[in-house]
Amino acid sequence: MNRTITNRIAIGVLWFAAMLTVAVLGALLLYVFVNGIRVISPAFIFTWPRGVNAEGGIWPTIVSTIYVTALAMLISTPIAVLAAVYLAEYAFQGRIVNTIRFAADSLSSVPSIVMGLFGFALFVEAMGMGLSMISAALALSLLMLPIIMRATEEAIRAVPKYMRWGAYGLGATKWQVVRRTVLPAAAPRIITGIVLAMGRAVGETAVVLYTMGQAVNLPTTPLDSGRPMTVHLYLLAVEGINLPAAFGTALLLIVMILGFNLSARWILRHYRKV
Amino acid sequence: MVPLAGCTTNSQRTEQLSVSGSTTLLPISEQSGEAFHLKDPQVSVLVSGLGSSAGIEAVSAGTADIGTSSRDLKPEEGPLGLVDTPVAYDGIAVIVSPANGVDNLTMAQLRDIFAGKIHNWSEVGGADRRIDLVNRDEASGTREAFKKIVMKDVPFDPAAAVLPGTGQVRDVVARAPGAIGYISLGFVEPRFTDVRVKALSIDGVTPSKKSVADRTYPIGRTLHFFTKGQPQGAAKRYIEFVLSDAVQKGVVVDAGFIPIAEGGSK
Amino acid sequence: MSQDAPKVTKSLQLVSRSTYVKEWLLQALFFMCAFAFVLAVALIFVFVGWKALPIFTDYGFWKFISGTEWSSSSKVFGILPLIAGTVLVTLGALALGTPLAVGTAVFLSDVASPRVRAFVRPAVELLAGIPSVVYGFFGIIFLRALIAQFSMTLGFGAFTAWIVLAIMIVPTIAALSEDALRSIPEGIREASYAMGATQWQTIYKVVIPAAKIGIIDAIILGMGRAIGETMAVLMVVGNAPVFPKGIFAPLATMTSQIVMDMPYAVGLHRTALFAMAAMLFVFSMLLVASVRLLSRLRD
Repeated sequence: MNRTITNRIAIGVLWFAAMLTVAVLGALLLYVFVNGIRVISPAFIFTWPRGVNAEGGIWPTIVSTIYVTALAMLISTPIAVLAAVYLAEYAFQGRIVNTIRFAADSLSSVPSIVMGLFGFALFVEAMGMGLSMISAALALSLLMLPIIMRATEEAIRAVPKYMRWGAYGLGATKWQVVRRTVLPAAAPRIITGIVLAMGRAVGETAVVLYTMGQAVNLPTTPLDSGRPMTVHLYLLAVEGINLPAAFGTALLLIVMILGFNLSARWILRHYRKV
Repeated sequence: MVPLAGCTTNSQRTEQLSVSGSTTLLPISEQSGEAFHLKDPQVSVLVSGLGSSAGIEAVSAGTADIGTSSRDLKPEEGPLGLVDTPVAYDGIAVIVSPANGVDNLTMAQLRDIFAGKIHNWSEVGGADRRIDLVNRDEASGTREAFKKIVMKDVPFDPAAAVLPGTGQVRDVVARAPGAIGYISLGFVEPRFTDVRVKALSIDGVTPSKKSVADRTYPIGRTLHFFTKGQPQGAAKRYIEFVLSDAVQKGVVVDAGFIPIAEGGSK
Repeated sequence: MSQDAPKVTKSLQLVSRSTYVKEWLLQALFFMCAFAFVLAVALIFVFVGWKALPIFTDYGFWKFISGTEWSSSSKVFGILPLIAGTVLVTLGALALGTPLAVGTAVFLSDVASPRVRAFVRPAVELLAGIPSVVYGFFGIIFLRALIAQFSMTLGFGAFTAWIVLAIMIVPTIAALSEDALRSIPEGIREASYAMGATQWQTIYKVVIPAAKIGIIDAIILGMGRAIGETMAVLMVVGNAPVFPKGIFAPLATMTSQIVMDMPYAVGLHRTALFAMAAMLFVFSMLLVASVRLLSRLRD
C-alpha cells in the first residue's frame, strides 16, 4: 500500500515537472504573441524603422538576418558535410579522429560572447572586413559547423551497409558510393540538420552584435553592415522606449524560428528513407 | 515614403555618411538623417548609438564620419584633432517614483546619494525607505555629464544597478518606490507607455526647458557633433542641415532638447 | 606500361590511375574539412589568448583574478566579484533547473504514453530553440517587474537571473538526459518489474542509476550553457560589478560585464575583457573534456 502511494506521488511529480516545462513554453509564447500580434502588419514587416523610437517597421533587420543566415549556411554546409563524410566513411578511429571530435564538441559549446569577441578581433579588425555580413556569417558558421556535422554523420551512419555493398559490388569507387548512394539516402536528415542550424543562427545575438554592428541598413554586398532582428530586439528592450515594436520583433523572431523547426520536422517525416 | 526612398537609393551607388555615438543624440541624428536623405538622395546617413565614448573613438579612428557626444572631450581626448560643432543643449532630470514624497534635493544631497553615503530616504526628508540607485552604463554621455556636474570626481556607488538605456531607467524608477535615477529631460514624458516618473527640483529649481536654457537649473550639458578636422563634403552639408532652423526648431525641440541658439554654447 | 601493349589496356590503366588520384585527392579534401574544426578551435584559442596576453604581462594574472574591485575609470580590473556573480547565478539556475529537467526527461522516457510524448518532446525542443535575447526580453519586461513588486527592490539580481536561466537550461539538460535514459535497455526495466517493483521503484533504483553518467553529462553541459549565457543574463542582473549583496541586489557576471564594457573599452580595459572571454572559453573546453572523460569511464 505504502509503496503504491509513493509510486503515485512520484509519478505525479514527474507529470508536474513535464507539464511545468510545457506550461513555461506556453506562457512565454502566449505572452509574446498577445503583446506582439497587435503591432504585426504588412507595414511593420515591410517598412523601415524611423527615429530613435524605431517607429515604423523592421524590414532592414529581417533582410539582414536572412542575408547573414543564408551566407553562413553557404559557408558552413560544404565544410561540415564533407567533414562528416570523412569521419563516417573514411577515418579510422584514432587520435586524430578523437581530436576532431573534441574540437567539434568544443566548438558547439563555445559561449556565444566568446565567439563574438573572437569574430570581432579576427574578422572585423585583424582581417579588416569591418562590421559586415561576411564577418558575421563567418563567426556564425563556426557555430553552425558542429550542428550540421553531427546531423550529417548520424544520417550517414544510419544508411544501411547493404546499400554500400550493392554499390561496391557494381564496381563503384568509394567516392561514387558516397556521392550516388550514401549522400542521397542521407539527404533528408542532412537538410534537417542544416535547417536546425539556421534556426540557431537566426536567434544568435552576442555573435552578430560584435561582427555585424547595429546600423540600420539594407545589405546588398557581403561587406555591408546591418542590424539583425535579435540585435534590434536587444536594443529596443534595453532602451525601453518603444516596447510595442520590441514585442513585434520578438514575435516575428519566434515565428521564424518555429518555421525553421517545424519545416525541419516536416522534411524528416516526409522524405526520410533511412 | 521614407522606406521606399531608402530601398531604391540603396541599390544605386550612394555615398554613405556614418554617424556614430551618443544614444541621447539619436533622435536628432536619426530623424535629421532621414530628412537629409530625402533632401539629398545621393547621401544615406547611417546612424548607430553606441555611447558617446564609442562615437569619439570611432570618429578619431576614422570608422565614422561624425562622432556624436553628449559630453565634452576629456583632457586625454584633446590631441585627437577633433572639431566640435555644438548642436543642442540638454538638461538632465533626476527622477523618482511618483509615490516618493521627496520633491527637492540639494546638489550635495544628490551627490551623497549617488556616492552611496546616504542610504535612506528619511535622511533627505522622505519616508523611511531604502534608496535604490539606478545608474547608467559607462559608455553613456548622460552618465559622463552627471559625473562631471553633480559628482565632481566623487566616485559613484559601484553597487548601483547599471542600465544601458534611458527608457529602461525611466521604466524601472517609475515602478520602484525607493528608486532614484537620472535621464535626459526630453525623455521624462513617456511616448509609448503611461509610466510616470517625477522629476525632482535641484537646489529649489524645477527642471524645464526654460530653466535649462537660462542655466538656473544646474544639471545641463551641450550636445556635440565631432569631426576629424573641419567637416567636408556630405558631412559638412549634413551638419549645416542639422544647424538649420528646420531641424533646430523641429526635431531638436520635438525630442525635448533646446536649440543651440537658445541654450547658447558654453 | 610497355610500348607495344594494346591501346585498350593502356587507357584502362590511365583511367584507373586518375581515378585513384582523384579518390585520394577527395579523401585529402574531406580530411582537411574535418581538420578545419581543430583549426577553428586553435584559432579561437590563439587569437583570443593573444588579445588577452597583456593582462599577464602588463597587469598581472593574480591581481586580475583575485582583485575585488572592477572599475574601468580607475583602471582597476579585479574580476573576483564577477566570478562570484557568475557562480551565484549558475548554481542557483542549476538548483532550480536540474530537478525540472531531469523530471521532464524521466517523464518522457518512462512515464509518458507515446501520444503525450509526441506533444511534450517537441515542446522541449522548441524551448531550446527560442533565442536568448527573447528570454532576456521576457525576463526584463515581465519577470523583473513582478519580482520588483514582491521583493520591494528594483527586481534586478540573482533571483531573476535564476528563473530566466533555469528555463533556458531545462531543454538542454532534459533532451540529453532523455537520450541517456532511453539508451538503457528495456530488459533492465522488465527485470525490475518482474521482481515486483513499482514504476517509481524501477525508475529510482534501476533506470536512473543506470543512466547516471549520461545525466551527469547533461547537467555539466547545462552548466556550460548557464555560465556562457550572455544576453538573457545581461538584461536581468542589473550589472553592478560588486559582490552580490543578496539575491535581490544588482550584480554582474563575467559575460554581462563584457557586453556592458565592450562599446567603450580601449587598451588594458579591452584586454581584460578578452582575458575573461579566454577564461570562459578554457572553462567551456574543460567541461567538454570532463564529459568525454566521463563517457569513457562509462564504456
